[in-house]
Amino acid sequence: MRGTTFTETMFGTVRLGTGTPVRRIRLDLRAEADELLRPHRTTRARLTGRTRVSGVADDPDSTGELEISPLARRRIRYRLSFTADGRHLTLDGWKSVTPRHPVRSMTVLPFTLYEDGARVGQGTLRFPLGTGLAPFLLGFRFPRREEPARHLAPRSDGSPGRTEVWYTTLTDPTTGTGIWLHHEVVTPADGSAPFAHGWAAAFPPEGKTLHARFGPAPWNSPTDGFTAADVTAIQGRLTGSAGAFRWDLTEQPLAAPLFTFPRWSWKRPLLPAAHMLPAARASYDGTFHDGERTLTLRAAPGASARIHGHGNARRWAWLHADLGDGAVLEVIAAVSTRPALRRLPPLVFLRLHHRGRVLPRRAERSAVGLLGLGRFRARISLPRWTVTGRTLLRRLRVEVTQPTDRTLTLDYHDPDGSPAVCHNSETADADVLLERWWGHWRTEATWTLHGTAHAEVGDR
Amino acid sequence: MTAPGLVAALLADTGDTPWTARVPARLGTFLSALPTPVRTGIRAATAAVDAYAVLHSGRPLAGLTPDEREAVLASLAARPALLPALDLLKVPVLLAAATERTPAPHTATAPEDPPLDCVPAVEWPARGTADAVVVGSGAGGAVAARTLARAGLDVVVLEEGEHHTTASFGRRTPLDRFTALYRDGGATAALGNPPLLLPVGRAVGGTTVVNSGTCYRTPDHVLDRWHRHHGFHLAEDLATRLDEIERTIRVATQPLDVLGTNGLLALAGAEKLGWRAGPLRRNAPGCKGSCQCVVGCPTGAKQSVQLSVLPDAHAHGARIVTGARVRRILLDRDRPGPPRAAGVLVRRADGSELEILSPLVVVAAGALQTPPLLRRSGLGGHPRLGRNLSVHPATSIAGRFPDPVTSWSGVLQSVGIEELHDQGILIEATASPPGMSSFVLPGLGTALRRELDDADRLAVLGAMIADRPSGRVLGRERTLVRYDLDPRDGHRLLTAVRAMARVLFAAGAQEVLTGIPRAPRARTLAELDEVLSTTAARDLHLSAFHPTGTAAAGADPQRAPAGPDGRLRGVHGVLVTDASVLPSCPEVNPQLSVMATALAITENYLEADSSSPTSTAA
Repeated sequence: MRGTTFTETMFGTVRLGTGTPVRRIRLDLRAEADELLRPHRTTRARLTGRTRVSGVADDPDSTGELEISPLARRRIRYRLSFTADGRHLTLDGWKSVTPRHPVRSMTVLPFTLYEDGARVGQGTLRFPLGTGLAPFLLGFRFPRREEPARHLAPRSDGSPGRTEVWYTTLTDPTTGTGIWLHHEVVTPADGSAPFAHGWAAAFPPEGKTLHARFGPAPWNSPTDGFTAADVTAIQGRLTGSAGAFRWDLTEQPLAAPLFTFPRWSWKRPLLPAAHMLPAARASYDGTFHDGERTLTLRAAPGASARIHGHGNARRWAWLHADLGDGAVLEVIAAVSTRPALRRLPPLVFLRLHHRGRVLPRRAERSAVGLLGLGRFRARISLPRWTVTGRTLLRRLRVEVTQPTDRTLTLDYHDPDGSPAVCHNSETADADVLLERWWGHWRTEATWTLHGTAHAEVGDR
Repeated sequence: MTAPGLVAALLADTGDTPWTARVPARLGTFLSALPTPVRTGIRAATAAVDAYAVLHSGRPLAGLTPDEREAVLASLAARPALLPALDLLKVPVLLAAATERTPAPHTATAPEDPPLDCVPAVEWPARGTADAVVVGSGAGGAVAARTLARAGLDVVVLEEGEHHTTASFGRRTPLDRFTALYRDGGATAALGNPPLLLPVGRAVGGTTVVNSGTCYRTPDHVLDRWHRHHGFHLAEDLATRLDEIERTIRVATQPLDVLGTNGLLALAGAEKLGWRAGPLRRNAPGCKGSCQCVVGCPTGAKQSVQLSVLPDAHAHGARIVTGARVRRILLDRDRPGPPRAAGVLVRRADGSELEILSPLVVVAAGALQTPPLLRRSGLGGHPRLGRNLSVHPATSIAGRFPDPVTSWSGVLQSVGIEELHDQGILIEATASPPGMSSFVLPGLGTALRRELDDADRLAVLGAMIADRPSGRVLGRERTLVRYDLDPRDGHRLLTAVRAMARVLFAAGAQEVLTGIPRAPRARTLAELDEVLSTTAARDLHLSAFHPTGTAAAGADPQRAPAGPDGRLRGVHGVLVTDASVLPSCPEVNPQLSVMATALAITENYLEADSSSPTSTAA
């Protein structure tokens, strides 16, 4: 199911009480609906934005509701709460849509102001057609609305030669310790019974990285996530033990699912493997004991991810970077093990969530470019690897550093028994530069992460 | 100056009295308040009479001498077919003449009205919300507003007219108040055979501001008919609601001390005949007999709803928006089944619009305005909406007595004679301010002037009949009333005329003025019988005052636009609480019936709503 988001700016005048001067008012609103906007029905959306009343109010955290029903109810109703000079005011008004005056009725918003339910003012807002229509229309987005839980269910159908992974990486904001929980189900290629195994690792900013494995354990095909022995990874909960490690965490999704690979490849496993995040960002609470210390986590940022496929890549690099303010960068650069594909340079799947948008818009864009031209490029090495690329108007450079002393090296095994080696750091550094073309390249945003990036490089 | 020649001719103005010279200006002021079609019609008729004068005497009326004007009128009066039209032309002239000739006594002090929260629509915000919107502040709307406000709802009452205080009544002439308080300046008419004058009030308080104050309880046989025949089950328990309404508007039998000679003569005549009669029960405690009920009581004695019911609603938070014409009821159609009322769209006097969102809309715009409002709102699909119109056709006659009666001094509607009520005829001694009676003085020119000068010796009786629902309210934007008198009701009217004449003769009248243009006088009952034997009801001067039944409540979905609980069919959240919801003719002055019905419907709604937590509206 898809939602709807758009932004709208309106200008007008307001009079707060009789005898008071007429003041200018401006609303910069962002509307977010959980359903697709259908003009012939009624859609409700959440409003956030900034309310400015000259000389009285400038509230950047206004919130409210929007009822969009231009045909069914012939009404688009705004209810917005904001603060003005310490007073909590509510704006309540609606556009009355009529076919006799389609433009005027869709652009003029008379409203009344209330304080504690009492009327304290009234005014009129207008949508500026000349300057506002194009940004308004171009600002419409219809993001998918999905429950993270549905992506946690096991996907294996019992076919041999498959591997499926639930992994979680997070950073304790108090100590700076990186944590990695890896849960994996392998269905061997030789047709033997599937088994579950995994490990937990801790990456203290100072000192030696620690890890411990659990399993192998029999796999009983649960329906809600990973459950094997005493280890579980299900919606909202991560518990288990491995060696001296003990953990009991709750997970709170903070963002929509993010498909690192094309969505279709997760739905239909046509690629050798696919990767996605049930929630692009999540926060974690609970306890984590690494055999030496017990960490008490409170709102620790991180994310859980899912992998499903035939095995590990020939070479790969992975990055999950929580950039703050809701921005997330997820990168996978990989070389396939398939005979023809192994000769290609790394395919880069890069997804940057930033200011409510995803760059690039389609996951295929960074991997294959436009008909093969303009694909993103990755230089995979250690301790530093980079990814660069550009879309039509934006350019991105990602540089990841995995210091040796903060990197854990582990052996992997494919379902057919082939070995691989991964170099993982949950306390990596990253530099991200986002530029926009505006006559020349101008910096749009830069992020520098010290010890909070989660990264991995793998090789054979 | 409007039609000075015609005025001078009709009033036989010889220049010896100063008031006649002021009449044309007064007439012009009055005509300016009338709707354009009526004004145009009167001006065309005036022009036609002037044209006739040119053909007859070579000059228009204004250029003729009094004798020549008299000759022109005599020539016109010689054509019987023209007499009804000339009588119609006399009505506005007599109104203006009476205002100048008999100035109403100035009421020096008026009691202060109870407080009301009235806000002109131009000052009301363009967007607002309420728990309930009541369209109309008359008998039904006021009671509905009070009931809902008492239940804790945020109520907004929308009134197309303005708020007039008792003090303002004392400051203005009756004619000024007449044009301000009535829709279309009092010129509302029902087209048909015969046409009927059908005045309805338009002000805060609705028609209760301009009614006579007569309070009849709904007769038991009418309640029984509503309950058993129409399935309007709320009628079963209407008696207790009638009790409450009577307490609210302080109904009591009118004392004899201020009854006036007009009423006393009616009582005397009825007593001589041995007929059932008595002073009427009225909602006017302390009535001083100003005889101005129909233009707003200047002493505040009459407990119209703006003095009795609406203040109580105001005390519970109800607000009134004046000068607010409801264009349509807003509907939400995005749900399965019938649409749901969401509020109202209102037009201000300056043409701008405002909207009030409310999950409950109570329609109480009156029996003539409710059907067009529902049609404008897309709710006019029921085939019986606007039909079933009863109006209580009424006529009046006057009796000339040897001694002065001065009918305009005393209670306006004072005595009820109920001897023929079983036959659907209710006689009420009804005087009025000079010129405002539905009774039109006979004669033209000198004869009319003589009648005017002798008017203080006239006693006036009126009779209304319980009619069959022969009318229909048409129109979307403007109301068009169509009413064809049923033959049975025509016979009733003629019977009523004879009965009134009997009362007047029994009381000692020297002659009765029949109101029939071709036979205006009868000196004996036999003479009247001879006149009536050749008279049809359409020859009478007819008027009507109590339109009801155009959105009737009932159990049969095919016949009743409103359900037995007063909820409009085909929509959620709309109640009808005005006279239009009455299932059939109430057969008496209807204000108590309307108010009790509104009380029953709104109380029933509140009970049903509280027992059904999922239903926020009807």
